Amino acid sequence: MNGFWVRTASLLAVLGILFRYNAVLENRGREEEFIRLCAQVEAMETYIQNSQEAESQKEDEQEDGLYADGEWEGQAQGFGGEISLRVKVEKGEITDISIVSAEKEDEAYLSMAETMIPAMMKAQSADVDTVTGATFSSTGIRDAVAQALKKAVKDS
Amino acid sequence: MKKDKKKMRQWLRTLLQLLFFIFFSSAFTAAFGGVKYIAAQLGAGERVDWTAFVAALAGLCGFTIIFGRFFCGFACAFGSLGDALYRICQWICKKCKKKPLRLSEKICRALSAVKYFVLAAIAVMCFVGVYPQMRGTSPWDVFSMLHGGNFRLEGYLPGVLLLALILVGMCVQERFFCRFLCPMGAVFSLLPALPFFAVRRSREGCRKGCAACARKCPSHLEIPWDGSYEPMGDCFQCQKCMDACPRENIHCGFKELRGNEIIWTLLRAGALCMVLLWMS
Repeated sequence: MNGFWVRTASLLAVLGILFRYNAVLENRGREEEFIRLCAQVEAMETYIQNSQEAESQKEDEQEDGLYADGEWEGQAQGFGGEISLRVKVEKGEITDISIVSAEKEDEAYLSMAETMIPAMMKAQSADVDTVTGATFSSTGIRDAVAQALKKAVKDS
Repeated sequence: MKKDKKKMRQWLRTLLQLLFFIFFSSAFTAAFGGVKYIAAQLGAGERVDWTAFVAALAGLCGFTIIFGRFFCGFACAFGSLGDALYRICQWICKKCKKKPLRLSEKICRALSAVKYFVLAAIAVMCFVGVYPQMRGTSPWDVFSMLHGGNFRLEGYLPGVLLLALILVGMCVQERFFCRFLCPMGAVFSLLPALPFFAVRRSREGCRKGCAACARKCPSHLEIPWDGSYEPMGDCFQCQKCMDACPRENIHCGFKELRGNEIIWTLLRAGALCMVLLWMS
């Protein structure tokens, strides 16, 4: 009888800590977002001031992305078979990564591995950490993106 | 009549294990992936999101709280593998007229604490972030690869060796892995499983000095009386005690359900199917 209640209390404690932890992080995230936005507004103000002074410098900023525009495909070995995906590059930037086929991957694992895709777009590279617990599928996605980007790298 | 029923129960269990082995072989690794994911996120100071792994963990834990470790006894692919190996070994020993090797009860009781250390060790490794470097050491990875028809095992030597050792253990002791080593089993056995659907026995029907159920139990459990809340973390719901009891005094769930265990098993298997489908 005692054992049962001790276990119930422990389980509730674990769940409580997890929810509290998430809530704290969310608050902190909001604060950071606020500070970031403030900094952005400030930066924009100074930018507007500066841009009136020096307008001619603008030209050399354009079109210096690493990758050539287009849609590039890559394949790599996942858990049970081949994962094939497509990387879209616009104006030298990776704008979309979509999975074309991954027939032999387990659903739960693939959806975990897909959480790497936003990170890759942010990093503009395939070189991000793999997902713990879904090593095969995430390594497959990483290698396939790397292969696609290899094709996309400008020759010059 | 009684014998028929016993046979039917055993066949049903074998059939269900086979079906789950074929169709839901990755449930146990996905659920444990949830534990690893939570530990890793906490260690990295990141948010714990509702991912597919967390859903798998929550689904199986919820099911276990209500129905006990039915998943372990009927649906876990690794548990079924162990059951099959143990049965084959027993059969071979019988044919060769050799007495099978057995671990003593005392050693078994001591070993069943090891799984908590396995769980703690993996959780700590995920928390501090060294787990990704341990690639190739997990026997579960090797098992899932083989089950998925992937035989490129280079770099997985430690995992292959561990799996081989576990397979040997499975031959010697019934539910060797589940009871002694399984980190997911450690999580399950710490849950407050509700007593309503657990294995219980009625006091009035028990013969004095008879311990047939405890002797048959792969976890050497003494089954609590009716109405007890005592959680039996190591009970896999294998229902072998029911078959062993000379008076059919052991029942699963409500007392009124006695004799209808087969329907009851089918219902639980159906519920588990729903949970597993929801997970993916």
